[in-house]
Amino acid sequence: MITKKRTPWLFMAPSMLLLLGLVVYPLYFAWKNAFYYWNLTTSPKPLQFIGLENFKNVFKLTPFKASFVNTIALSFSGIFIEFFIGFTIALILSRDYLKTRLFRAIIILPTTIAPVVVGFLFLYLYFPNGGAFDWLLKIIKFPVPAEGLLGSSKTALPSIVFADIWQWTPFFAIVLYAAIISVPIDLLEASEVDGASFFQQIRNIYIPVIKPVASVIVMLQFMRLFNTFDLVYVLTKGGPQTSTRTLSYSLYVEGLNNYNIGLASAFTIVMITIVNVIIGIYVFIFLRKREW
Amino acid sequence: MVLLQTGEESAMKSKNRNVRAVAASVAFSLIGATSLGISNASLAIAADCSTIKLATVGDPYEYSLKEVLPDFTAQTGIKVVEENLSYDALQARLSAAFVSKAPDFDVTTTDAMWIGQYYDNGWIDSLNTYAKASAKDPELNLKDFLPSVLHSISTWRGNLVGLPVAPYAQGVMYRDDVFKKLGIAAPPTTSGDSWSWDKYVATAQKINGKVVNGKKMFGTVIVGQQPVPIVHMYTQLAASKGAMWFKQFPTGTWDFTPTMNSAANQSAAKAYVSLYKAAPKESINYNWFAAGMRFAKGDIGMMYWWSPYFYLVQNNDYMSGKPSSIVGNYKIAALPKEPGVAQTTSIGGWQLTLPSTSACKDNAWKLIKWAASSATQKKMALVTKYGTQFSDFGRKSNLEDPALVKIYPYLPQLEKMLASGNGKNVRPPMPLYPALEGVYGLQLNKILGGADIKKTLADTNSIFSNLLGGNFYMPYKGKSYDDTFANTTALIDSLSQ
Repeated sequence: MITKKRTPWLFMAPSMLLLLGLVVYPLYFAWKNAFYYWNLTTSPKPLQFIGLENFKNVFKLTPFKASFVNTIALSFSGIFIEFFIGFTIALILSRDYLKTRLFRAIIILPTTIAPVVVGFLFLYLYFPNGGAFDWLLKIIKFPVPAEGLLGSSKTALPSIVFADIWQWTPFFAIVLYAAIISVPIDLLEASEVDGASFFQQIRNIYIPVIKPVASVIVMLQFMRLFNTFDLVYVLTKGGPQTSTRTLSYSLYVEGLNNYNIGLASAFTIVMITIVNVIIGIYVFIFLRKREW
Repeated sequence: MVLLQTGEESAMKSKNRNVRAVAASVAFSLIGATSLGISNASLAIAADCSTIKLATVGDPYEYSLKEVLPDFTAQTGIKVVEENLSYDALQARLSAAFVSKAPDFDVTTTDAMWIGQYYDNGWIDSLNTYAKASAKDPELNLKDFLPSVLHSISTWRGNLVGLPVAPYAQGVMYRDDVFKKLGIAAPPTTSGDSWSWDKYVATAQKINGKVVNGKKMFGTVIVGQQPVPIVHMYTQLAASKGAMWFKQFPTGTWDFTPTMNSAANQSAAKAYVSLYKAAPKESINYNWFAAGMRFAKGDIGMMYWWSPYFYLVQNNDYMSGKPSSIVGNYKIAALPKEPGVAQTTSIGGWQLTLPSTSACKDNAWKLIKWAASSATQKKMALVTKYGTQFSDFGRKSNLEDPALVKIYPYLPQLEKMLASGNGKNVRPPMPLYPALEGVYGLQLNKILGGADIKKTLADTNSIFSNLLGGNFYMPYKGKSYDDTFANTTALIDSLSQ
């Protein structure tokens, strides 16, 4: 009996150790140091307790407002577009127009590329006076800014969103496709017999069936988008001005550029709070009725 | 019941044996790994200094240096493993290694503005002892360096902290064929009140939009990328107009009260915006290389920039080795000067420093001394693999060498630019510089994007005050050092005896 009690703990131990090491300790580290002045360039250890100063400096010393607005814009627009296009692709795949496994393998390829590599790829595509996108857009008489797509504050953020859409829409497509093919065929046939149109099927059959899966991946992808750093770092470094600066990029600047660990810790806490509020509201609206 | 108990007991014993076996194997693995770690650490302590690690950055000097490094190995028997990094990556890698006290490199390339942070935190060693011990060594010959170069980039608080391997000044490059075609008087080769920043801006505006030899010209090109590159170009203009970062630095008793919103800085910002209006729009995103090499494309009338571009623009692209379309059609001129304000030329560039974590300091010093020596610098200048390249000298013997002047005729002008420079006034190397530069670059980029100059510079001043105050630099209660040319000259003299 004693062994039966110990064995589960033994098997859970590696996961708990990982959780402690990768989640709990860093959170504790951030919470503790958010209240201290600690800049690694002046001292290897925290120097003194400064209360809420770091939290005030998050809003005073960093372009927090611009970062927050950009992060929200990037996250919500990215999620909506990726879901919509991914769902459309999933529906097309489910209709057997493009049935081959090869196509499904090809479509997932962008997701397998590291975000930094995607960043460099699009950096060259967006290059003014020579990049493929710049050239293509000029051919179709699209008003490309003279500064280039990444040089204009009007087009820089949409350009980053586009790169993210290119990479992650296939992920939505594949996951939603798996959910769509679980829809009972007899249900679809019955609806066809009853004269339901394709759009009626989508609204009344597909969406309710895939809702549990869709809810979860929307939540996960939102959190990924909220933490976007790689694309911003490679493509624009938060510029021009602060038009593409995200919360994660600002955090990187404070923690890994300026080595201001205290301020970066406070910034982390603020970011965690924001994302938890948003996800909390989302879970309350979309997932509270689910049985886990 | 007895049988069941026996069965249960043996099952329990078996499970216990399994658990013990797993625990034992994990424990042995940990012990083994630790032993490996310990023996690795022991090996590190008894470091093999026959091979040393050098961190370089992808500036032109690196291309030449790597070609001549085998000569160092042949001469000394010391192998050099060189790792070349981008500007951002170098700064991040060095800071991370220093902060974690992890031995990474034995010799590091350090930018001029980082020396305050690196030395005050004990990340790099003073070279005073090494220099004094090598005072009679002709390979070192400190007095051969221009004092302004050593003062600007290699000395901090009365210490020699590095040896210049590629110092830069800033000057003007202009298309003399375009100037002749448009009837514009050529800029002078020496600074004077008649060649003012207003005249420079007006000249750029005059060229902008004109078609010369079938090509539409831009008046100039600027560096606009934030956060770092824009600061390197802008601060030359600002310093030339008399703008300073702080109330008192680097001479006297230091007072880091920021003066970002001074009249001189506002005037500089206005001029920079005017230059941007006469430049390609995409230059708001240009870094050092993009702006410099745009001049080589042939549609820029003139620009002011770091002296390596005096030779880099002879190539059609960075280090391509293929001649550009402007070879023979451009000349070097003096920087504009603000009337009534003493001229300040920015001196920057690269030096080799000695990390405090290096386990091979003696051999590292040998490499630093060798790479910065007159003979090696000349060898680097004669490497022709990438087209004519590398004339970033800080030594008089190189700048005045007839063989080198024949290849780089602008060397006498470059010597004057370097001799009149003061890098510490233009980009003060105080320990918080990297953080301040990040803020400054962002604000300047906002100004280029249309933000109100007065308000943005006032905001910059406010952010600087908060940053400096929060990091105990305002008010400054630390020890100041009266960092004058005279003190640097005295230091050089004392280390040369």
